[in-house]
Amino acid sequence: MDRTILEVQNLSGGYGDLIIVRNISLSVYNGNTVSITGRNGVGKTTLMRLISGSLPLTSGKVNFLGNSIAEVPEHKRFNLGMSYAPQERIVFDNLSVKDNLTLHYLETDLDRYSNLFENFPRLRERLGQRAGTLSGGEKKLLSFTRAIAEPSNLVLLDEPTEGVQSDNIELMAQVICSQKSQGRGFLVVDQNLTFLESITDTIHLLDHGEQVYKTDNKRFRGEIETRISI
Amino acid sequence: MEVFVTFLLNLIYISATLALIALGLAMVFGLLGVMNMAHGEFVMLGAYSVYVVQLAGQHFLWAIPVAIVICVMVGWLMEWLVVRHLYSRPFDTLLATWGVAILIRKGVEVIFTRDYKSVNQVMPGTIDLLGVSYPAYRLLLVALIIVLFVALFTWYQKSKAGLKIRAMVQGPELAAAVGIDTARLSRLTFIIGVSTAGLAGVLLAPLVRVEPYIGLDYLMSSFFILIVGGLGTLEGLLIGSTVIGGTDAIVSTVFDKTAGYMSVLLISILFLWLRPDGIFYRR
Amino acid sequence: MKRRDFIKTSMAAAAFTAASQGNIFSAMAAPKLKVGVMIPLSGPAALFGPSTKNVAQMAAEKINSGGGILGRKIEILFGDAGLPPAEAAQTALRMWRGQGCEAFVGMHNSAVRGAYNNVFKGQVPYVYTPNYEGGECANGVYYVGETPAQSVVPTMKWLAGEKKLKKFYLIGNDYNWPRDTNVIAKKTISELGGKVVGEEYMPFTVDNFDSSLAKIKETGADMVLITLVGGASVTFNRAFASFGLSDKVIRLGTLIDENTLLGIGAENSKNIYSAASYFANVQTNEAKAFAKEYAKKFGSKAPVLNALSGSAYDGLIALDTIAERAGSLSTKKMDSVAEGSEWDSPRGRAKMSNRHLTLDIYLATAIGTNFKIVKTFSRQDPGNFCKA
Repeated sequence: MDRTILEVQNLSGGYGDLIIVRNISLSVYNGNTVSITGRNGVGKTTLMRLISGSLPLTSGKVNFLGNSIAEVPEHKRFNLGMSYAPQERIVFDNLSVKDNLTLHYLETDLDRYSNLFENFPRLRERLGQRAGTLSGGEKKLLSFTRAIAEPSNLVLLDEPTEGVQSDNIELMAQVICSQKSQGRGFLVVDQNLTFLESITDTIHLLDHGEQVYKTDNKRFRGEIETRISI
Repeated sequence: MEVFVTFLLNLIYISATLALIALGLAMVFGLLGVMNMAHGEFVMLGAYSVYVVQLAGQHFLWAIPVAIVICVMVGWLMEWLVVRHLYSRPFDTLLATWGVAILIRKGVEVIFTRDYKSVNQVMPGTIDLLGVSYPAYRLLLVALIIVLFVALFTWYQKSKAGLKIRAMVQGPELAAAVGIDTARLSRLTFIIGVSTAGLAGVLLAPLVRVEPYIGLDYLMSSFFILIVGGLGTLEGLLIGSTVIGGTDAIVSTVFDKTAGYMSVLLISILFLWLRPDGIFYRR
Repeated sequence: MKRRDFIKTSMAAAAFTAASQGNIFSAMAAPKLKVGVMIPLSGPAALFGPSTKNVAQMAAEKINSGGGILGRKIEILFGDAGLPPAEAAQTALRMWRGQGCEAFVGMHNSAVRGAYNNVFKGQVPYVYTPNYEGGECANGVYYVGETPAQSVVPTMKWLAGEKKLKKFYLIGNDYNWPRDTNVIAKKTISELGGKVVGEEYMPFTVDNFDSSLAKIKETGADMVLITLVGGASVTFNRAFASFGLSDKVIRLGTLIDENTLLGIGAENSKNIYSAASYFANVQTNEAKAFAKEYAKKFGSKAPVLNALSGSAYDGLIALDTIAERAGSLSTKKMDSVAEGSEWDSPRGRAKMSNRHLTLDIYLATAIGTNFKIVKTFSRQDPGNFCKA
């Protein structure tokens, strides 16, 4: 049974008067991954920030689990069941890795992370370290781990593989696929098409802030590459 | 020897009280980026709390809850009506909080007139320490300030709320993404900041003059300390207080008070010029 | 509120304020004599404004009930003298040339007096009322405050004799009144065979006196002459007592008024002496009647009477007396008859000598937050500054 988790209709927005993305519509169903790709600077991150609530909408609708969340502040979307791993400033540099993983829970134990630590043992080794001392790829893993472990229906991942080693990228894809099978939905922005092909059900191509191509075909790599290189 | 011990005690006393005075401003500016020009007025409200409590014939210690209640209420209103709309607009905040400062000052003037209010001494008399008789209350005050700073530091480093504040200061967007209500947390931080200013006013009231305009002096001293110490760290605050208090004490003792005051101004100017971020800077 | 509404409202408010100050309505009444009373309404000295404002109104009523000055009822306009000198001078100029004030009475510092002198240039009578450092004799200016020759010299001599004082420490704020006062004090100390063990001048912004207190203790001073002003005096005296110095060391000040003493507080006021020509509880019949009337008019919670308001009251009486004697408000005529003018006031009998007043000076000691007069020095000469 396909239940709609996220429904975005004719969404436009940006920074103040400057509109970056226009007229975007997409839906994420449970057990599905919707991906967004495109060249740098076409508005992918802006779109994610509009959906996560970091930026206010200019027009359009965002429904989450059947209710409009356009007016819901960002921190409350977390409680509704939306996880978000942003593209930049992805961890709290001054806090320890452990604090990064626990500050938003009442309990400070790490039980919820035990499975994820199996995949990414480096994080467990560095629990006491300041997150600012991690490499860029390790920070991405930390941010990914934090978002995945949250008890949410939808996970927004913005460029999760940037700077991450290839064997860890494969592990990330595996984690996403197993989570999908448990009914979670994903909205992923990335430029690594190999990674995207292994997780995606529907992909959207963005250019100059507009949707230019969409396909449910799982083998989209050739088509997307031709369109991007034009 | 006796002269030296007195000097040393004076140095510790002035550094500790300066740190106490600047604490609230350092918190609000370091954590929220708000230059609260009404900082001194909260010190003043604290001092008047003591006056009111003593007028009602109650014990000095009652002034602490009274001051905190007043500062929480005024601080909450101020944040809700004015400050929250102006986060990340430093110049606007500066002007707006200056307006609030005038309002508080005039309000107190209307209620209590401009007359000096006398606050009874707490623990009058002196204590003999290392062969020097030193005002007892000053010694108590220094001890209280140390306890306060240790408690605050521990709270900030160890508690969940402290952790969330540190997270919010570092990355407000990420903090919101993990479900932290940054608007509420900012308000809490602001209220805690102004309440420490009120507490400073309570503790200093037995030593200083009490009238509606004392806030300006406290704002000025706090500025000097933040200029030297930098913003946003407790270490910076303590070092700033010691540098300012120490320079003033040493130069005033060797030369005179005018030279002492000049040297404080000179140091502040040098810091603004050569190290505009202060000794400790981390953001 | 919309911007336009805001502008309208403020214009209406401005018009109303202007009207209520009498510019419109008084034009229809008999020509009153407008007297500009310049007192600090803002700034650090504004503390001294309220009681002075009250007594000025009392003096005006008294003068008007006796027929006014030169047959004209007087009307008081208050101007702010708490501004920086240049701005205060602008205000005075506006009141003189714009609003038509024909005489001025001022209670403010010497810097503002200098600025007013430059504006008035002796063309309009001006009574300067607070105690000051002495030394001036400008045309058209009448000084009714105490000079150091009156307040410091006799009281210091008497205290030194009574208490066997030898070592003197002088501390004041850094401007001409404390410095000039101390020049005279030092002369007196050397006449007494005493020794000045310290002399310090504090910037106005200073609120920590620890290093000075350490020096006072170290030098073993047995009297401190305080010429600190207002808040600085309060903070200094509180810290002084907290170090336990108040038991051993005598403090004398010529600007420790009732207000300052309230701020210092009962526990810190031991062995404080203050010298002035008026205290709120001077026990002469005139002073008692004056204090009673003040309380009746302004209530028991009114700002306290002090030496500054006492002499400000005298300022208006002086203006009345000299103008009546001259039969004119011309400063030339007033200057020529001022010498020897005499009147009674809450401060006692005052007699003008070299444009200053020969006065009774009281030495009071602090009992808690009240003053008790311990000695009266009658008919003190202000000194002659008009020779040159």
